[in-house]
Amino acid sequence: MAKKALLISPELCIGCRGCQTACKSWNQLSGTKTTNRGSYENPPDLTPDLYNRIRYVEMSSETNIMRWLFVSQRCMHCDDAGCIKICPAPGALFKTKEGAVAFNKEKCIGCKLCVAGCPFDVPRYDEKDKISKCHLCSDRIAEGLSPACAKACPTGAIAYGDRDSMINRAKGAGYQKIYGETDLGGLGALYVFKDPPKVYGMIEKPAIPETVVFWHKVLKPLTYIGLGGAVAVSLLHYVAVGPKKDEGGEEK
Amino acid sequence: MTQMVRKANAFDILNHWVLSISFLVLTISGFGFLFHLEQLNSLFGNFNNMKVVHNWGGVVFSVSLFFTLFSYLPEALSLSSDDIGWIVKGGGYFSKKAVIPPQGKLNTGQKLYYLFTLIFGITIAASGLIIWLLPGVRTWVLLSHLLHNLSFNLMVIAIPFHIYLGTLANPGTFRIMVYGTVPLEWAKKRHSKWVQKMGF
Repeated sequence: MAKKALLISPELCIGCRGCQTACKSWNQLSGTKTTNRGSYENPPDLTPDLYNRIRYVEMSSETNIMRWLFVSQRCMHCDDAGCIKICPAPGALFKTKEGAVAFNKEKCIGCKLCVAGCPFDVPRYDEKDKISKCHLCSDRIAEGLSPACAKACPTGAIAYGDRDSMINRAKGAGYQKIYGETDLGGLGALYVFKDPPKVYGMIEKPAIPETVVFWHKVLKPLTYIGLGGAVAVSLLHYVAVGPKKDEGGEEK
Repeated sequence: MTQMVRKANAFDILNHWVLSISFLVLTISGFGFLFHLEQLNSLFGNFNNMKVVHNWGGVVFSVSLFFTLFSYLPEALSLSSDDIGWIVKGGGYFSKKAVIPPQGKLNTGQKLYYLFTLIFGITIAASGLIIWLLPGVRTWVLLSHLLHNLSFNLMVIAIPFHIYLGTLANPGTFRIMVYGTVPLEWAKKRHSKWVQKMGF
């Protein structure tokens, strides 16, 4: 099956937050009471009950007194996902055939290593200490439907489709660079920006923590090799040299 | 009847068994987490249970490791020129004719092995506790995750040698872990300084 992706265009977003509401509705997530922080942005961060939120970036310059950027913040559905890599519980985090990073709360053991493995600070934990995050509406897309956020978006700021066609669409709209086209093996959430990504609150070069990569590539295979090697060397010594007998050749 | 001398008391023996069994359980479950060994569900039920066993097994291991301080640390730190001689001769393990310097209650290899176990035992216990008790604190968890696995790697290399040297390679050694005693003649050959110190 062709890989699917979201194409997120902040320039098209009007900050209506219909996607936040649709997401909560489909995923049956309850609302949370927040306080006014002097911004229309709400809630202030992702929570176990908020898989997707619009980040409001307010900026002003000499030529433009008020520039308002709206960016969907959510799981980026990395092809090479740090959360899956570091997760010790089989089946707790997994890739769907569409390329979404989905989860199974029953398999989650609540260790929160995925929080450390994620380059985007996405995984949250619910009150039962189980992972909770955007799963690209894996239940909907498995049936050929769009994710709830994309379905609800009135302007096309969140579009969903085959990943290749999303890339073509972005290039057709005149964007040279697509955020996430190649990062982490290719993200399942592609972004097009008119300014450097960090202006929109995005990391410039997202990557899995180096310690996790080193652990995965070097330490993990070494555990088997080390254990097996030590046993093998011991046996070899037993055959080649043999045990220390008390009869002779001892201390003096 | 063969004259016996006591090398380990009941507490040493019990504590060593607690340490070794907890280490074995931690290793098996650790491999389970590392390589997603779902076959282990027949042993632990599911990965949630395995995590509970791994965490609390770690507590047992840590407490047991603490008590080893009283059994082995003073002896392990009493290194002398005889220990250098032992290292030069490779502990006498590479030739039947090798003559090694006289050894105390612990030989050089045992001393170094204990210090190794202590250093990486403390590292693996402390990093494990951080992963367990400070979940989501990214920098600490990443550093601990690395140290936990690094220590684990070194330990799974060292432990097979330790088991081999305590059983097959040195006949008569394993009984210390069961009875705590060894024949005087055996001790004279392997731990002559210790035997002398006891006045035999």
